[in-house]
Amino acid sequence: MLAITLAFLKIGFLGFGGGYAMLSLIFSEAAHFGLTVQQFADLNALDGLIPGPIAINSATYVGQLYGGFGTALAATLAVCVPSLIIVPLYTHFEARLNDHWQVPALLKGIKSAAVGLILAIAALLMLTMVGNVTTITDWSNYQADWLSLIIIIFVATADLRWHLNPLLLILLAGLLGGISYYL
Amino acid sequence: MQTNWRLFKVYLLAGTFTFSGGMAMLPVIERELCQKSHLISQQDLYEYTTLAQTFPGVIALTNACFVGKKINGTSGMFVAGLGAILPAFVLMSAATALYQQLPQTGLILNILTGIRAASAGLLFSAAFTLARYNLRDVGSILLALICFGCTLFNLLSAPSLIILAASVGLLLGSRQQKERD
Repeated sequence: MLAITLAFLKIGFLGFGGGYAMLSLIFSEAAHFGLTVQQFADLNALDGLIPGPIAINSATYVGQLYGGFGTALAATLAVCVPSLIIVPLYTHFEARLNDHWQVPALLKGIKSAAVGLILAIAALLMLTMVGNVTTITDWSNYQADWLSLIIIIFVATADLRWHLNPLLLILLAGLLGGISYYL
Repeated sequence: MQTNWRLFKVYLLAGTFTFSGGMAMLPVIERELCQKSHLISQQDLYEYTTLAQTFPGVIALTNACFVGKKINGTSGMFVAGLGAILPAFVLMSAATALYQQLPQTGLILNILTGIRAASAGLLFSAAFTLARYNLRDVGSILLALICFGCTLFNLLSAPSLIILAASVGLLLGSRQQKERD
């Protein structure tokens, strides 16, 4: 419980640049607790089904999975700590942060990194779903799952080009998976 | 007291009906706090939104805390923050508890396999959307590619990559700054 709480404290303080930057931190931190790629994929799907900020949802999910309700609460509170410290401090000092060039420069670097991190995680997820292997170098155990590949391409296109509701896409993919059981 | 109750209700409402990320809360907050009850000006709300994005932490929560603090001091900060995260926490812990009960075999496993593939697809889409807005010069593209490679081949962890990227951002920024001077 302590380890998970501390991990989410760290994620909170390093989590610049929004939910997806944080999601990549969660992916790398939660692996220490034994979170599988499948469980991470389910987390991302639940993020789409359940309302709320991605980081809050993720802290609750990982906490609940590894220690039950108490740990979920502790992890969620831990990820909230930065906001509760920063807001009073900032209002107290009224620093004109955006007047300094350092702030946008720093954020620009982190946001560029977040793109690469999320793309890599998406690729690792695809590798697991389509290839049934967990690392890119594990070619000998490669086993193709064509339905997953089709769903990945369809969902990415539908979300990016046609702006279909992610919730609908997740349910549709679940339905397709269910139908495949009877084929 | 009445203001605090109103703040809590507005954030609870916004937190319950916004899917995929906290930023979707903003239109609800604007309608309820700026247009209906005039507790905060639109300009202040958007300034806080921009500000919240420059700090580490949960952006939607930081934003809620700023607005709550502005409207009703420290107690306002806590009720707005609590309202913003409570729906996510309650619904997500219930959903996770249900999810843990699911047997991962047969029909359920096939359904989950489909959902997991959709999840990967949504991440690809998120990566492309982020790239469109954030990768506008050679430096950013290179940085993103390095982070992509290091994560894919498990060479560096995400925390070290983020710290590295922040330093590179500062370095590039200071060079631009010197050219301007």
